[in-house]
Amino acid sequence: MKLILSTSNIMGAGASIHRPTKSKSNTEIVSSLHSNFEAHSAPSTPTNGTTSITINANPTTLEIPALDFTSSSLQEEREQYDITLKLFYLPSTTSNPPTAAHREAQTREALDLVLRDLHMPSVDLLIVSFPGIYFDEEEDCPDKISTRGPVEATPEALESQIETWRTLEKLHEEGLVKKLGVAELGHDRLKAFLERTGVKPSVDQINLRDCCSVPKDLMALAKSNGVELLVHNDCSNILPRGTVRELLGSGESGAGVLAEATKTGDKRKSLHGEESKNGSAQAEGLRGEVQPLWVVKYTAVVKNRGVVENKGYFAVAELTD
Amino acid sequence: MGLLAVGTPLEWPEVKKVAGHVREWGIEQLLAIWRRAKGKERDALLWGDEIEYLVVAFDDEKREVKLSLRQADILTALANDADLLKQGGGVPDLQEGRKKSGKNAPTFHPEFGRFMLEATPGAPWGIGFKDLLDVEPDMKWRREIANNHMYAHEYPITMTTFPLLGDRKSIIPYYPPNGSKLRSQFVPDEIANPHIRFPTLAANIRARRGRKVELNVPAFHDEKTPWPFKDPTVDYDLHDWPEDDDVRNGAAKENHIYMDAMAFGMGSCCLQITFQAKNIEEGRKMYDQLSPLGPILLALTAATPIYKGFLADTDVRWNQISRAVDDRTPEELGEAPLKTDRWRIPKSRYASNSTYISQDPRLRREYLDPDLVVDEELKQRLLDGGMDDMLATHFAHLFIRDPIVVFAEDLEELDLSKTDHFENLQSTNWQHMRFKPPPAGNDTGWRVEVRPMEIQITDFENAAFAVFCVLITRAILSFDLNFYLPIPRTTENMETAHRRDAVLNDKFYFRKAVLPSKRPAKPNNTNGGGVASGPPSGASTPQLGPSRPASPFGPVEDEYELMSVDEIVNGKAGGGFPGLIPLVESYLDSMNVDVETRCELAQYLALIRGRANGTLWTAAKWMRGFVREHEGYGMDSRVGEGTVYDLVRAVERITVQEGRDGFGREMLGECRVQG
Repeated sequence: MKLILSTSNIMGAGASIHRPTKSKSNTEIVSSLHSNFEAHSAPSTPTNGTTSITINANPTTLEIPALDFTSSSLQEEREQYDITLKLFYLPSTTSNPPTAAHREAQTREALDLVLRDLHMPSVDLLIVSFPGIYFDEEEDCPDKISTRGPVEATPEALESQIETWRTLEKLHEEGLVKKLGVAELGHDRLKAFLERTGVKPSVDQINLRDCCSVPKDLMALAKSNGVELLVHNDCSNILPRGTVRELLGSGESGAGVLAEATKTGDKRKSLHGEESKNGSAQAEGLRGEVQPLWVVKYTAVVKNRGVVENKGYFAVAELTD
Repeated sequence: MGLLAVGTPLEWPEVKKVAGHVREWGIEQLLAIWRRAKGKERDALLWGDEIEYLVVAFDDEKREVKLSLRQADILTALANDADLLKQGGGVPDLQEGRKKSGKNAPTFHPEFGRFMLEATPGAPWGIGFKDLLDVEPDMKWRREIANNHMYAHEYPITMTTFPLLGDRKSIIPYYPPNGSKLRSQFVPDEIANPHIRFPTLAANIRARRGRKVELNVPAFHDEKTPWPFKDPTVDYDLHDWPEDDDVRNGAAKENHIYMDAMAFGMGSCCLQITFQAKNIEEGRKMYDQLSPLGPILLALTAATPIYKGFLADTDVRWNQISRAVDDRTPEELGEAPLKTDRWRIPKSRYASNSTYISQDPRLRREYLDPDLVVDEELKQRLLDGGMDDMLATHFAHLFIRDPIVVFAEDLEELDLSKTDHFENLQSTNWQHMRFKPPPAGNDTGWRVEVRPMEIQITDFENAAFAVFCVLITRAILSFDLNFYLPIPRTTENMETAHRRDAVLNDKFYFRKAVLPSKRPAKPNNTNGGGVASGPPSGASTPQLGPSRPASPFGPVEDEYELMSVDEIVNGKAGGGFPGLIPLVESYLDSMNVDVETRCELAQYLALIRGRANGTLWTAAKWMRGFVREHEGYGMDSRVGEGTVYDLVRAVERITVQEGRDGFGREMLGECRVQG
């Protein structure tokens, strides 16, 4: 079963204020998912001692919280906005890496969710982030490591990335995406992308922190090919494996959608099983393995005023028995 | 400064007779503007900065520096040059400049002091991040153009005040003090711009007030300063004008540096930023939200430690300007019983804000100034004209003042397509924020002017503070921040900002929770909903979490606390107030910003972060330190001519080098070392 987690518009919710003391830069998505779950939960009562969240469930998909696109549209016309999507393909655990066809389906789904949420027909820029690639600044940058998140994947072969890219080119041709971009590419990979793709990347988004030391060869390559080097502050591994389970689990900060993690062969009932969420028979929550698949971050900025009107995340995970 | 219409200015007794008339016409013009522009929508963010310079003249042989009164000559040279520029004529420096950026050449304006120049960009800035990077080069270009139209021994410096202004000699060409307009024993009438508006402004303020303006700045008590300190430069034996009695009646206070003319205030240089809002609502919101930041910006930019050749015990210019244009009568000041005047007025026309104007539901009545004075008749006229109460109150408050300069020709008929009478009052209310309606005759929108900042020595710093202000406004609008604070607390903060090293040692009232506490409530969930752990079997019955009850408003006093500038700018440890810089950085993280821009902006933010946490000094601290370590300083608060010569030369050096040569690094840090 597919799980769709969403934050709604996080501007104004305070979740995206980064504090110097927090080193992990996936704080934004995690805390804004948390607060969106809370906003859609009934307050806890003395009798059940826990919260219940509004969700939308059918046999194949579980929306947490239930998706509601009725009220989320933007205030101005399409041309007033600069809409950027950043799609993080998450590391795969299975022995079969996702094929280009999988990725295409994921990308289309991500794009579709955002377009429905914003009530817009297209976006300006789609940046894709492949798992396991980390941009390295030239100089030592002590802050750097903390922004990577746990390393759970080795970079996949260039070949497969290019294959994925070809599926993105179709989105461009269909007019759904005006520009395509990549993230974390160093000189060599960017060069290969430029040589081997039809629609060239217009953007390479790199994580600089405060060091501001862009390798000269990358800078020169980007300049001569009209690739804009943009700065970001995201974790490359934005949703490490345990995070979704923590968010949805029955633990203290969880949304209570998932049962406590079960080890293979462990049929023991969850410790919290008897503390029924809402009196239903499945009180202990859904069971199974959670595999995060992708995360999309979207921002809609009013161009001539520089105001971020809407920003949010969707995260999709697979729940398997 | 604008408003340089020519005509026959009325003397004060005549102005007084027509004051009500001017106010009424001003209100009619305001209503006309308001009706025309209240529905104006979707204006872009356009913004501009204003840089003010002092023109100084060095004499290296005598080791002297003086204020040059050649503003008019320099402006004429600039204007003629501009003509040539238009004709494609042959002035190499401006042609070079034009080629350099392909942008509109900057424009220069006269200011109150005849030793001042003001320069603005040739066209407003936008919010494209490239625009933000163009600001500093444009400021440098302005200074270069100005400098190229001066004598070789002159230089446009950006100090707030000239340290020897009022020493009766450090101006060139020389004029004796005690003229008929200013009647100052320290500065001549010729210190003011000769355009008839300026001397009239000074003379009518003095006349309305019934005596000279009175500026007493606390003197810095150094190791050998005679104490109690009696300003030794005050002449008690003048008998040229009735106002010469002022000092014999106690105008000069003990332990203070005494000054007696508008030039001591309006001769100060400021850094002002004006923003265009999307529409009137956004403008009103920005006006309110930026207001509590004013005192913080003032403390961060402190640059005024010296007056009239003495070290002061304060760091900023604000109150001096306030007193330099304080036209309140003894009755209005509360020094005499109210007989002929209409009310007591707690603040000078140049002072911190007294109103909030937004129709924001977060604005609680308790934030408003309980001492606000309003002209109820004019307010009623505005209400009758359809204006809402908040805005009508604001303007009816500004309109408690009398016009100061009135030209006889303008009283002949009311022209509702013009804004002159409205602007007459509006532009002589110098509060720390200004809400500016669209002007007549072009497409400009509603604007907000941020006025508290002191001018900084380098263009790098001026650009940094200008850009910081822009980014703060974007963060306010994007995150829907709430900085509301009761107005009397902002007034107190403004006083606090004057204290020596307030940025390091003092605390300011500031709101604790600036982020919206809750998400906006979602409307009814119509596409199904369920409860956690519900069976994954088709759409389940809709069930909504009951909406949380709105938390009742607690006492206003619980909403704010005293914070240091460091806490306000860089954030409080342990998850309290997030800090203005982290707010700006979070905003930037949500934007597509290219590498070069982000790195440049990082330098600007590093400067402000350093000023706030004390690792980088304010110009006030640096100048005070320079004087106290100077060989010519006798530890007695007196700043002599030789010291000032070296100080101004040092300021010039820093303007050029920006710390790259290691000099002034206490102020600028390493920001520019790699650059």
